[in-house]
Amino acid sequence: MSTRAHPVWPKLRLLALLASGLGVILVLIGAVAWIALAQSFGLHNPMGEDRLTLDHWEKMLDRRLYLRAVGYSLWLGFAAALISVALAYPLAIWLRRPFRGSALVSAVLQAPLLVHGLVAAFLFVNIIAYHGLVNQLMVALGVWAEPRQLQNDRNAWGVLILQVWKNLPFALLVLSGSVRAIGDDILDAARDLGAGAFARFRRVILPLSLSALQAALTIVFIGALADYSFQVIAGPTNAQSLAQLMVFSRARSWHEAAVVGVTLMVLSLLGAALIAVLSRALRLRGVL
Amino acid sequence: MKKLMISATALALLGLPALANDLAGKSWDEIVAQARTEGEVTWYVWHLQDALREAVKPFEAEYGIKVTIAEGTIGGHFDKVLADRMRKTGDVDVHALGFDRYEGMDLAGLYIPLHILPPDSGRAYEVTGVSGQGHAVAYWGNQSGIAYDPAKVDETDLPQNAAEFAEFWAANPGKFGFNYENGGAGPSFYTNVIVNLGGWDRADGTEDVNRLMALEPAMAFFRDNGPNYVITASNADSITRLSDGELVMVSAWEDHLAGLQQRGEVRKDLKFYVPEMGMNGGGNGVGIPLNAPHPAAAAVFVNWLASAETQSMFNATFGTVPMNAAADSSKALVSPEDRANQVAAPARPFRDSVEAYFIENVILER
Amino acid sequence: MTLNRALFVALLLIGTLWLALPFGMAILWSLVDASTPWTPDHILPPAISLDRWRNMLGNPVLQVALLNSYLLAPTAALMTLTLTLPTAYALGRIPFRGREIARMLTLLPLVVPGFVTAIFLTALLHRIGFTGSRFWAVAFSHALLFLPYAIRILSVSFEQVRQDHIDAARDLGASPLARFRVAWLPALKPGLLAAFLIVFIQSIEEFAIAFILGSPDFTTIPTLLYARLGQDFVRPDAAVLSLILVLPNVILMLILEQLLRSANPSLSSGKG
Repeated sequence: MSTRAHPVWPKLRLLALLASGLGVILVLIGAVAWIALAQSFGLHNPMGEDRLTLDHWEKMLDRRLYLRAVGYSLWLGFAAALISVALAYPLAIWLRRPFRGSALVSAVLQAPLLVHGLVAAFLFVNIIAYHGLVNQLMVALGVWAEPRQLQNDRNAWGVLILQVWKNLPFALLVLSGSVRAIGDDILDAARDLGAGAFARFRRVILPLSLSALQAALTIVFIGALADYSFQVIAGPTNAQSLAQLMVFSRARSWHEAAVVGVTLMVLSLLGAALIAVLSRALRLRGVL
Repeated sequence: MKKLMISATALALLGLPALANDLAGKSWDEIVAQARTEGEVTWYVWHLQDALREAVKPFEAEYGIKVTIAEGTIGGHFDKVLADRMRKTGDVDVHALGFDRYEGMDLAGLYIPLHILPPDSGRAYEVTGVSGQGHAVAYWGNQSGIAYDPAKVDETDLPQNAAEFAEFWAANPGKFGFNYENGGAGPSFYTNVIVNLGGWDRADGTEDVNRLMALEPAMAFFRDNGPNYVITASNADSITRLSDGELVMVSAWEDHLAGLQQRGEVRKDLKFYVPEMGMNGGGNGVGIPLNAPHPAAAAVFVNWLASAETQSMFNATFGTVPMNAAADSSKALVSPEDRANQVAAPARPFRDSVEAYFIENVILER
Repeated sequence: MTLNRALFVALLLIGTLWLALPFGMAILWSLVDASTPWTPDHILPPAISLDRWRNMLGNPVLQVALLNSYLLAPTAALMTLTLTLPTAYALGRIPFRGREIARMLTLLPLVVPGFVTAIFLTALLHRIGFTGSRFWAVAFSHALLFLPYAIRILSVSFEQVRQDHIDAARDLGASPLARFRVAWLPALKPGLLAAFLIVFIQSIEEFAIAFILGSPDFTTIPTLLYARLGQDFVRPDAAVLSLILVLPNVILMLILEQLLRSANPSLSSGKG
């Protein structure tokens, strides 16, 4: 009723609400993002002279190292996001209502949050090293005749395992918060109306947790896309991730590093947009 | 409008404050007196911090100036110095960096000129062809080479040139490792193998596509032998896997190996040599940021670090190559015969092109 | 019920591998004596001592860094939540044109390259003079850097607040505070805790900005950790440090687990 009073008022209220979070981000981080963009075109060099140019983009786009980094990071980002969320989602639904031992289960699942990523990577490499536990076990069992070089494997399974290990708890946190907020009354009502377990999932749980699903996918995707520490320790040596390439290029040229950085920004936002579009499509179909 | 505002912010925060260097025109005695009044100095150095805290005690005792050695990493320290440039007074008094990083950097925009130090013709303002531009001086000398496991390789069988390395790889597949990133030991190895294979005048730094193309046979050499050697993740990864017995020979820095052995991280029986084809020498330097909070104490400290006495002491304690001509170098880890195999890193920017070319045509082909 | 039991046992097994292996290795590594390095031809470290623990615990910087990190993280997390709530409310409950784009833009702090943020955000903060207190400067930077997590999570929570509950509470004449308690809080609480925990963990792990703004007076844990996992890669020292860090984290998790359980809306909101 009162909202019809004046069309400007709700807009102002909206802007005021957005100012606290989005506003602060745009003012402070927006300036920084702008610098990264300008750097990729030859400006704002903290170490030398400025010259507006496309050279750095041309040079990087011409390098296979760069193109492979784009492909590799995208693959890693999507794979890590899909696997982490695919594992976390059923677990979140299972743990929705507490049962005997559920606290223990969720504690075990969330324990990786307690271990710094760098430490996790070094422990993992230790386990799969040439004389590490896995090799010793396989040789002792007679499965392998001699130890194998598993470290820095070219398919990046090592990095992927680490990503899932570290990100599953985050996905679980995001998803279980949302799944727990679904009221029992709704689920009971659905059950009373004769909906089976799958129908309850599809008609009630999925639509009500779709936003959380989108948030979890986005957060894990952006984190894995920008991975540096896991890749440097456990990643394949014949491909660099974008963040690794950025640090690597920086020793020679700030501008080339900025080109990689801007690529990372753009891909992150595009990936987030893609996830948003997909979940919107799913939501529209769910309504039908 | 908003865009305009953002770029104005960007410009404002990049503009450098004009800094008056209050040491200019002062005599050395006045600087020492000021240093004693300042009473403290913060050194941003990224390696062997615990051991260096011990090593600077004689300085603290002599001048009554407290030395704080900051924690952190080389990258963190560098970013800190860059971010601090926009401040009137920063936090960093003395900043350490690998000497090869100075190449292509405008050091005058970063550090105060070191001509305020008392004359000492022994100091090293240039390390293996890279100049400190009068704004940075060396305090630590080191040597890249090959670390090996004497239990598995006989001292008389050590490969000395490209052909012998290829023979070793073929005879011991999967046992030789070097890195191409996260440390300069591997790049020192493979660039010197390329030089050894011929066609690269290391002193000539001019960029030229034809020169690059002439190195194709060397790339083929690495590609053909590719299945027989291992690319490691970093300098540290190489040494760890050597110590664990997976590899028997890896590229390494002598001081890095010695430091890890000293801390009980890797086996003490591992050995080190410099092949006859030559591998790069190197060093670390220090500079005093323009906005150092204790500039006089920093100058006195840098003078102490680069002095013949301190360099002899570092040589005795850490086995480093002294970076003062008048220092005693008798305790170095590397024998004088091996030291004779030291070469300067090939000149830039052509070396950068070769490294990029190597990555595209060897590493990515693996 | 039997399915639950089977799942439970399987999960516990995987969980043991998931945890026991890395933690067990870390404990063994932390006991390696400096006299003899642990090489793979020994199943257990050949020489064992508590020297690494003594050295690390005797390091005067460690206690300060622990205190700093564990003061910093909750402060940053609370600041994040404060900054987040209004924006998350708008993004979650007010439909407006460009909402998806606004949501996308909130991701900016996560997507801007780390080294650019580290150098230029800190320079910007220096410029506007917001670095007088190192503690508050780092806390604010962390709050800003990790805002995207909290905004994403809490806008989902706001979406899930049910209009029928709000309406019912109002129709029953509940005060605004009571309305908030019965209709809003139950849906928001899990999100608030999740966001708090994620920002907390991220703040505990962040190195670059905390170092640039904090060093040399304000040292946090990652500064110590990165020094020991970088150039001088000393595994036993890193293992000790990471195990020391686990203890306060476990305590924190237990507290939050307790809070999360009491936050379960299906129990607290009541169905009847």
